[in-house]
Amino acid sequence: MKLNSDVILKVSALTKSVKTDAKTLDILHPMDLTVTAGDSLAIVGASGSGKSTLLSIIAGLDLPSSGEVFLKNKPLHQFNEEQRSAVRAQHVGFIFQQFLLINSLTALENIMLPAELAGMDNPEQLARELLAKVDLADRAEHFPSQLSGGEQQRVAIARAFISKPDILFADEPTGNLDTKTGSHIADLLFEINKQQGTTLILVTHDPKLAARCQRQVIMESGQLSETNVVPVIAETLVTKPVVTESSAIKQPLSGSL
Amino acid sequence: MSYWHKHSLRLLKHELKRGELTIILLAIVLAVSAVFSLSGFSSRVKQALTAESSTFIAADRVLDTGSVIDPTVLAKATSLQLIQAQQIQMSSMVFTDEQMALSALSAVSDSYPLRGELLVSPSLDAAQAVAVNSPKLGEAWLEAKGLRQLGITLGDSIEVGVMRFKVTGIITQIPDASFSVFSSGPVVFINDQDIHKTELIQPGSRLSYKYLFAGEADNITAFEQWFKPQLSDNQRWYDIKSQNSPLARALTKADKYLSLASMLGIVLASVAVAVASRRYSQRHQSVVAVFKAMGASKRYVAKLYCLHWSLLSVLSISLGLIVGYLILNVGLYAMRDYLDISATGNMAYPFLVAIVTGIICAVSFAITPLKELVQTSPMTLLRGRDNAANNSLLTRLMSPMPSLLAIFILLYLFSQDAVLSAALLIGGMLVALVLLVIGRLFMSAGRSAGSKAGKSWHLALANLKRRANENAVQLISFTIAIQLLLIIVVMKNGLIDDWQKQLPDNSANRFLVNITASQVEPVNNFVESLGIESSGLFPVVRGRLTKINADQVTKRVSKEETKSADNGRRGVGRELNMTWRDAIPYENSLIAGSWWSPEDTRALVSIESTLADKLDVEIGDDLTFQLGSEEVQVVVSSIRKVNWQTLQPNFYMIFNQHVLADFPATYISSLYVPDEATDALQDFLTQYPTITLIDVDAIITQLRSVIGQVSIAIEFILVLVVLAGSLVLVAQVQASMEERERELAILRTLGASGRLLRNSVLFEFVALGALAGLMASIAMELGVYILQSRIFEMPGSFHFQYWLLGIGAGASFVGLIGLLSCWRLLNMSSVTLIRRTM
Repeated sequence: MKLNSDVILKVSALTKSVKTDAKTLDILHPMDLTVTAGDSLAIVGASGSGKSTLLSIIAGLDLPSSGEVFLKNKPLHQFNEEQRSAVRAQHVGFIFQQFLLINSLTALENIMLPAELAGMDNPEQLARELLAKVDLADRAEHFPSQLSGGEQQRVAIARAFISKPDILFADEPTGNLDTKTGSHIADLLFEINKQQGTTLILVTHDPKLAARCQRQVIMESGQLSETNVVPVIAETLVTKPVVTESSAIKQPLSGSL
Repeated sequence: MSYWHKHSLRLLKHELKRGELTIILLAIVLAVSAVFSLSGFSSRVKQALTAESSTFIAADRVLDTGSVIDPTVLAKATSLQLIQAQQIQMSSMVFTDEQMALSALSAVSDSYPLRGELLVSPSLDAAQAVAVNSPKLGEAWLEAKGLRQLGITLGDSIEVGVMRFKVTGIITQIPDASFSVFSSGPVVFINDQDIHKTELIQPGSRLSYKYLFAGEADNITAFEQWFKPQLSDNQRWYDIKSQNSPLARALTKADKYLSLASMLGIVLASVAVAVASRRYSQRHQSVVAVFKAMGASKRYVAKLYCLHWSLLSVLSISLGLIVGYLILNVGLYAMRDYLDISATGNMAYPFLVAIVTGIICAVSFAITPLKELVQTSPMTLLRGRDNAANNSLLTRLMSPMPSLLAIFILLYLFSQDAVLSAALLIGGMLVALVLLVIGRLFMSAGRSAGSKAGKSWHLALANLKRRANENAVQLISFTIAIQLLLIIVVMKNGLIDDWQKQLPDNSANRFLVNITASQVEPVNNFVESLGIESSGLFPVVRGRLTKINADQVTKRVSKEETKSADNGRRGVGRELNMTWRDAIPYENSLIAGSWWSPEDTRALVSIESTLADKLDVEIGDDLTFQLGSEEVQVVVSSIRKVNWQTLQPNFYMIFNQHVLADFPATYISSLYVPDEATDALQDFLTQYPTITLIDVDAIITQLRSVIGQVSIAIEFILVLVVLAGSLVLVAQVQASMEERERELAILRTLGASGRLLRNSVLFEFVALGALAGLMASIAMELGVYILQSRIFEMPGSFHFQYWLLGIGAGASFVGLIGLLSCWRLLNMSSVTLIRRTM
């Protein structure tokens, strides 16, 4: 299926179910989504609504139970783990709520990592430029344990952009930060995004952050619906807390040896 | 049930189910099972080997005396439930109608032999030989060569003293055959009740009374402790170990090796417990922080974890005992064809020492980690910092003390040797310190910002350098484990090589004695014509050492027959067999003085080193000998070290030719006679009936068999030590798994291919293992040198050929275990990895 050249992501009839001991749990109900290149999209919803699960699937980290996912014309729903890794290396950037920096690497080395994996030239120079852009040039040799939460997230942002991804996925990027720091991080994120012209897909429960995106969609009990009205979102989140069963993310994991 | 009780049980149940406690469980099970099986196995093997080798002296203990013993001694032995036998040995002429010969007469009691077998055949067919005790009254048994020498056959009669005996059996195996080349004549066995009828025992007769004792080890020891202080000058008390025979020395070394291997195995298992405990504590910090944040007191947490750990320990120790018992029985079953090991026996000691070991392992190595765990502050949750980072320097220095003390106790428990235990512990700590420094230097060398993560090797080496601190600790564990394993392998092969060198395949298997001067040339011609390997012909002159400088020998050597545990060689105070040589003999080495040239006409002697020490003789001393009716004075020109283990004639005193050439001498030689030359030798000897042939084949075969059995026992224990080392490696790899899991999750998310990640993990562990193997090889050389020179009394040597083994084994083993440990993670999907990380 060839997408319109402007469409960077297309999701059709996507579902996700998980089998537990007792029964099958439907995390995502059939949904469609189309994202144009260069757009910024916020996926909002209460905890347990399935937004992080949706993000995992459209980012190529997980497979849907049914439906189609095309990213840059590549059928992610048909790809195996290796093929999806390759897609991520080429086209995708990530920012996580928990930052997910490698503790044994310095700030500079963490930023260089995606560029090295992609085989880019001069990863160190690119990394230093980005480190300066996020205002951490003097912290290049510091380890994550020596950085504050906000500083770690800035490093994570720099890491996400070094490989000049076509699309950037951010899962609650300000979730672990205080309001002021979170706001600063959001500014940085959108500024660099604008400079690089990256498509941005953001998962958040922060209505202010969601409002900064060009589009917003709401996840509610595994159902996706689109809205442009930020107050509606705020009302949804404040007055209608959604209580759902724990999602697959919270499943007990098998023990390790 | 109180809440802390419930929480503790719940915690244990969940953790066991999730496999979180597997390493600790396995480590304690291994330590307990290793101790149980090793101590049970090695003590049984030692007992069996000792029993097997006791056949060399036909008993557990022998009293050799010149006169009849006090009956109270025998009564004491009886009271201790020891079995006894008596043997009277003397040289005597044996007559037939046509011939006569000087024989080694042995009159034995009905219970002889107490160990081993006296094999006698009722016919000329040696294959029909059966194990017997003593001949019937009026009957005699001879060796085949004796029959030939006397020109008789089975059923004929011989005269011994004034009594006639009917020859009813041919001796094919004597358990305590005298291994002295200077005993001459055929062996004749009669019943000890017949000896008095021969009227050979007269006042002044030279004979030897041997009293043989055997029984349970404790009873033998008790009897020995009672009797030895009563030994008089003309009595000799010995067991197989004090015989200073090749076998005795081999057994002593094997004993030490088994103990050493066992101790090292226990140390390795303990290290595994220590590593796993530390990881356990780190994993539970957040749990304890949550408990305390919710209001649990320190006491509550302490009780919870003490019960949790106690239950885990009881379970592990019980499993360890069961596994140890199974291993022990498998090992004994495997050895059943080689050694007569009793399946039953004293299990109490191995059982108790295994339980004590398990408790020490479970408690001592966990004290520090558990203490830190109980002291975890709820702030750990907020700050995300490791507890240990808050400890003072003193606390950090003192924290390994319980573990070190525990290792010392374990070593002492097993070795019963405080000095050896302390030496091993301190040596180990020094080695660990040096390794830590070297390892850290290796890891940090060339640390650069770039990882070039696109290629697996570069990613692997970059990871090694980045995790320098953590890797340095892992490196020490790997290095010590590989080093210990290398030491075991090198020592095992060294011991076996040492033994095999003494008994190469073409070791001498025949001795010719009593060769006259006129027979020298025919013997030489015969040996050369058949191409038989020979030690050459040694002239033998008998004489007595009478003076050292101006001192009479009786003054210096009145106590030479000591009552010490050695009870070894008899040197002086009786006639010595002496020889002359132009060149220093094979396996003799000079340690002082110089050897003479063949043209040297001075009266010189070279003395053996232990005798020189005993007599306090130095270079330049004058020695006076009585040779027949003549006195000969010589000067000590050299002192030699003799390898008494070689199967060739060896002498305490060697003169230069000028001194002894004019004295009447007989000659002796040792030969290696291949099977195909046996008949030719027999035919030759029929022309020279006065030459005595001593066949040592049977003794050598027995010796080789015992050495082979010991080697198998050593290899069995090596397997257990390898398992212990493997567990340390697995525990260490597991300790780094959480960090590795997180990194894999991130790298996977960022698009690293599965192949890149697998290869980088493999290469990282291979590089770590190779580095550990190299360092282990260097450390091994030092350790082996100390062991060889100080403990095993072997010459020190380098073992460069094992370096490749160390590096290769380290790289393969650590690489494989690392990759297998990470395999599950490497094959997980990105989303699963991320979820596990969060």
